[in-house]
Amino acid sequence: MTMKIGVYICECGPNISEKVDIDKVIDAVSSMSDVAVVDRYKLLCSSDGKKFLEEEIKKHGLTHLVVSACSPKQHEKTFMEVCENAGINPYLFQIVNIREQCAWITEDKDEATEKAIRLTKAAIRRVRYHAPLEKKEIECNTDVLVIGGGIAGIEASLQLVSANRKVYLVEKTQSIGGLLTNFEKTFPDMQPSSALINQKIQSLNNNENIKVFTDSEVEEVLGFFGNFEIKVKKKAEEEPIEFDVGAVVVATGSNIFDPKKTPQYGYGKFDNVINSLEFEKMNLSGKISLKNGKIPKSVAIIHCVGRNEKKYCSEICCMYSLKFVRYLTNKIPDVKVSNFYSDLCLPGKSYQKFYEQTKGNTDFVRSMDVKITEKDGKLNIEYKDETGKKSDLSVDMVILSSAIEPTSDASKLAEIIGMSQGDGGFFAEEHEKLGPVSTSTEGVYVVGSSQDPKSISETMVQSEAAAGEILSSLVPGKKIEPEVKVSHISESLCTGCKTCLSVCSYGVITFNEEKKISVVNEAICRGCGNCAAACPSGAATIKHFTFDQIYQELMEAVK
Amino acid sequence: MSKVEGTPITKGAIISTKLNTNESIIEFLKKAMDKKVFDAVLVPVRVPAGDSFAYVLIEDKSLLKDAAPLSPIMSVQGAKAISGMTKLGKGNMKIGAVMRPCEIRATVELTKINQTNLENITLISMDCPGVMPISDFLKDPEKSMKIYEDAVKRSDDKIMRPVCQICDKSSMVSGDLHIGTLGAKKGTFFIVSNSQKGNEVMNKLGIELKDNVDDWRNKVQDVFEEKHKKREKSHKDLKAKTTGLDNLINTFSKCINCHNCMKVCPICYCRLCYFDSDKVKHTSEDYLDQAERKGSIRFLPDTLLFHMGRMMHMSLSCVSCGSCEDACPMSIPVAQIFSMVADETQDLFDYVSGRSLDEPIPLVGYKEDELHEMEDAK
Repeated sequence: MTMKIGVYICECGPNISEKVDIDKVIDAVSSMSDVAVVDRYKLLCSSDGKKFLEEEIKKHGLTHLVVSACSPKQHEKTFMEVCENAGINPYLFQIVNIREQCAWITEDKDEATEKAIRLTKAAIRRVRYHAPLEKKEIECNTDVLVIGGGIAGIEASLQLVSANRKVYLVEKTQSIGGLLTNFEKTFPDMQPSSALINQKIQSLNNNENIKVFTDSEVEEVLGFFGNFEIKVKKKAEEEPIEFDVGAVVVATGSNIFDPKKTPQYGYGKFDNVINSLEFEKMNLSGKISLKNGKIPKSVAIIHCVGRNEKKYCSEICCMYSLKFVRYLTNKIPDVKVSNFYSDLCLPGKSYQKFYEQTKGNTDFVRSMDVKITEKDGKLNIEYKDETGKKSDLSVDMVILSSAIEPTSDASKLAEIIGMSQGDGGFFAEEHEKLGPVSTSTEGVYVVGSSQDPKSISETMVQSEAAAGEILSSLVPGKKIEPEVKVSHISESLCTGCKTCLSVCSYGVITFNEEKKISVVNEAICRGCGNCAAACPSGAATIKHFTFDQIYQELMEAVK
Repeated sequence: MSKVEGTPITKGAIISTKLNTNESIIEFLKKAMDKKVFDAVLVPVRVPAGDSFAYVLIEDKSLLKDAAPLSPIMSVQGAKAISGMTKLGKGNMKIGAVMRPCEIRATVELTKINQTNLENITLISMDCPGVMPISDFLKDPEKSMKIYEDAVKRSDDKIMRPVCQICDKSSMVSGDLHIGTLGAKKGTFFIVSNSQKGNEVMNKLGIELKDNVDDWRNKVQDVFEEKHKKREKSHKDLKAKTTGLDNLINTFSKCINCHNCMKVCPICYCRLCYFDSDKVKHTSEDYLDQAERKGSIRFLPDTLLFHMGRMMHMSLSCVSCGSCEDACPMSIPVAQIFSMVADETQDLFDYVSGRSLDEPIPLVGYKEDELHEMEDAK
């Protein structure tokens, strides 16, 4: 069958037509081989425009379509649908972006026109080398893996099971509950932490749709949105447990900064200098006491421990420090509590109020260069006040309000899942505003303080958001369309060096030991192109981005 | 020192002998075959016509007499022999392979990319005095043999290939065993082990690795420093001559597109080189287009692109063995240029090709925090 290429140039109202001399473009490309028809239209993406294109394809018996219009991000799919409706394979089509890349950025009309001509010609030459690709549909798995059994993971799990989804909850320690199990109360309502967490654990234990693995770690996550293959390793068990899910929620939480890295506070050196988590545990045990068993009469809380080292504000330390003031003054009537701080972080509708209600029971010392020494069994806090004057204060106990940091195995998990880590080593969300709980890997969500230091209420919001995203995108019975622009490895060119295996982001390449070559599982390949870029022998190629297609397009563009 | 050795070796064995280096190595191999430590050995042997050397897998001990571990030329890079022998599987014979350090380094590189199987191979290297250019040797093989022997005795590298003269890794130990002659007292040589496999071989041979080898190490360090200085100077001079498009074109304009350099390269392991594939063959219309654009176009085209493409592909693994330059019929200093580029690209990744099997090739690793010097100027 002879090739008949139709080329259509969209005016995009005045957007393109004002800056690009469309008639000149039509003139320049009309004589190219196999171009059957070239025309312009005022707005191709409108219903009339789409109808016009469809009729044109049928009328002229076109085999290939080139549309010079806007960004493929905006309307590539639109015109691919037109192709389908008109009966030609949607991959025998190429869109050219002459709006964002010519009309909108090139000042001079002649230059914009020249560029539009080149890009359109390049696309016409490229489309000649396109091959039809067939769409596939596969079933999706609607089960979910939740990693981390703290409040973030528990909340996400409960939301998902309430919509009858099956959840696998993996917790690396021996029990679920996370950090909250160490707290007596939560701020700012000062309600018992146990009431909150125990009730959640109870509902979770009563639900047969949640399978909890404690003492377990995720060992492997392969595949993609709708079809992840998971391996979980339970401590003391030889074989990993394997199951499939459609989405993954990462809720691995955080650690506190180790104050030993800031030796000026004497942590680890002086008995009565303790960190915030140790104080929470001590308070929960029912007795706040010094090492020698005596009750402290004076306590200093040092804020922002590790802030300079971590280079970010941990958001919740001011509030939990105020909570500590409440713990102390409620339990030790005559105790004197001093807060050494540099800035206070009290955002939102309820935190300021909590501060106002607490500040009468404590001193706030705005200070810098805090250093702790021990003298006659008491701790001496040397500091500079706001005016730069040196001063000191003697206390029985010091609590260090440590910064929040990602757990030490965050990098390992990031590598297993293929997530990226952002500032401070926290897991990176896809977009701060547009994708606050999704990640760069489709189907993997991040919630709670593994993404950023966070209060319990913020964590709950994120967990519910992630559950909502999953419930609306992974619907039982709905099929998903896997990528068709996937990798292919030529059997005759592959030399078996296994380089592709190590760069494949989705673990979909295996090695055929008999033939000594690499093989792509095309059903689950995502077409990222890593293998094609890394393959030294040119054996790996990506469909729709073949060597010929790119070469021909480039040759025409630089002609 | 890290550039000379994979791991610092402090102990070894000092062996007394009346034999020369070649004979000592042969004697060692014979003993290893006697004790069934090796079922066969892979070693260079002078061809019957006398004008070249070939790697031969010897199973019959009596044929060891023709072996020439310190052959005066490198006609086939040893890594290619190992890969040819084991790419499709390890086989069931224990084999001792005697090769120069650069050949073993290339073998290590090929192993990282799955082109060899070293399970049953023991790699044995020696302090390498260098080899002669093949073309020089061929002028009069008999005379060349004497010239080479004499030069080795006098530690004179002037007759060696240019890349051998600037080789700073001529005693690098990255195989299993290494025979050291540098710093040895008259009538002795050193054997050191670099792996568990090497230790086991020595154990079976009843040779204990308990002698102090400082004399060897110190001499190796001296040679390294001297050669390294020479290498840096030579690369600096060469860089001045080859930097910029005009200089590059001038350097490679002699190229006749035979691709010999690629064919003999131990690292070029692709089944079909991109530059031999249909991907570089274009329609006459394309060529006309190019001629129209540039005024003219040379045939065969893409000679410079071939060298640059090959450099992109293999410089991170290049071991500066010099095979490419030996194979160039037009005397282009390919190996010197490639070794210069390789030193720089490998430095970027803190990588030394063939130093250790434990160092993955940089291509497969990704570090978020690297190569900032390559980023756009701020």
